[in-house]
Amino acid sequence: MEKSYQAKAQSSLEYLLVVALTFAIIVPTTYLFYNYSKESSQQITDSQITKLGRGIVDSAETMFYSGKGSKTTLDVNVPDNIASAVIIDGRELVFNVTTSSGSSEIVFFSSVNLTSSNCNVNVCSIQGLAPSGTKKVKVEVTSSNSVSVEVI
Amino acid sequence: MNKSQVALEFLATYAWAFIILATTISALYYFGVFDFSKYLPQDCTFPSQFKCADFSLKPAEIRMRLLNNIGEDVHVSSLQITNDAVPPISCTPPAEFDWAHGTEKDIVFTSCTGAGYIPDVRAELKVLMGYYAMNTPSHPVHLINGKINGKVLSS
Repeated sequence: MEKSYQAKAQSSLEYLLVVALTFAIIVPTTYLFYNYSKESSQQITDSQITKLGRGIVDSAETMFYSGKGSKTTLDVNVPDNIASAVIIDGRELVFNVTTSSGSSEIVFFSSVNLTSSNCNVNVCSIQGLAPSGTKKVKVEVTSSNSVSVEVI
Repeated sequence: MNKSQVALEFLATYAWAFIILATTISALYYFGVFDFSKYLPQDCTFPSQFKCADFSLKPAEIRMRLLNNIGEDVHVSSLQITNDAVPPISCTPPAEFDWAHGTEKDIVFTSCTGAGYIPDVRAELKVLMGYYAMNTPSHPVHLINGKINGKVLSS
């Protein structure tokens, strides 16, 4: 009787120790890796937006100096966190981005005059760029002094 | 009689075990063994256009070094720092300044007080910066958010 109790108690204790040790390893590891991955995903989004913005501005400048009527279509990958994209004063391409730190505006400057079909005073909205996914962006020189940026 | 004695002894043994276990876990918790956030690296996260090169958290002063990587000279019109504590941290922000492209600036918040900002304790702070490009005619103000996660120095 006594022996049976001891054997049961030992196996229970060993079971508890194994479970406790497993938890002691899994919980902190999960927490640490979750935090690392959160930071990494933020850096990836930042890189994606930089690639997107620089790509549009560089194409606009290339098309502008190629002359009126020049156009190109870019296949871009828009990340999740972009809420909207606007052109201000024809020279600032602004992405409104939501990150874990809060909302930020990522700005790219163009040396040529940018425009779109949806302008209100000095702010032109680039419709259709905001939801994430693969998009086609048409960059076209529409007049002698401006380049149009549209999502098609 | 014998059976009830065994049951009572069994319960008494495990009650003691439970008390010892609870006390041990409480002590470990008290000494911060379960505060896993302290094992995370201290970091300062900003968008790559204003890369955070370095930072330090002193008891009443928060200092960070940012690089203007945006490609234009800008004018920083507002700076604000806060956290999720109640009441939130309150600091005196630096005055407005012009910032040339490709240069680093030390941004210093002074006279910092508030909950959640205690020496030797980890703090998570949010920084909000407003700026405009000096070459853009209408000077539209853009906001960027950054985050500092680090241990406040003791002196």
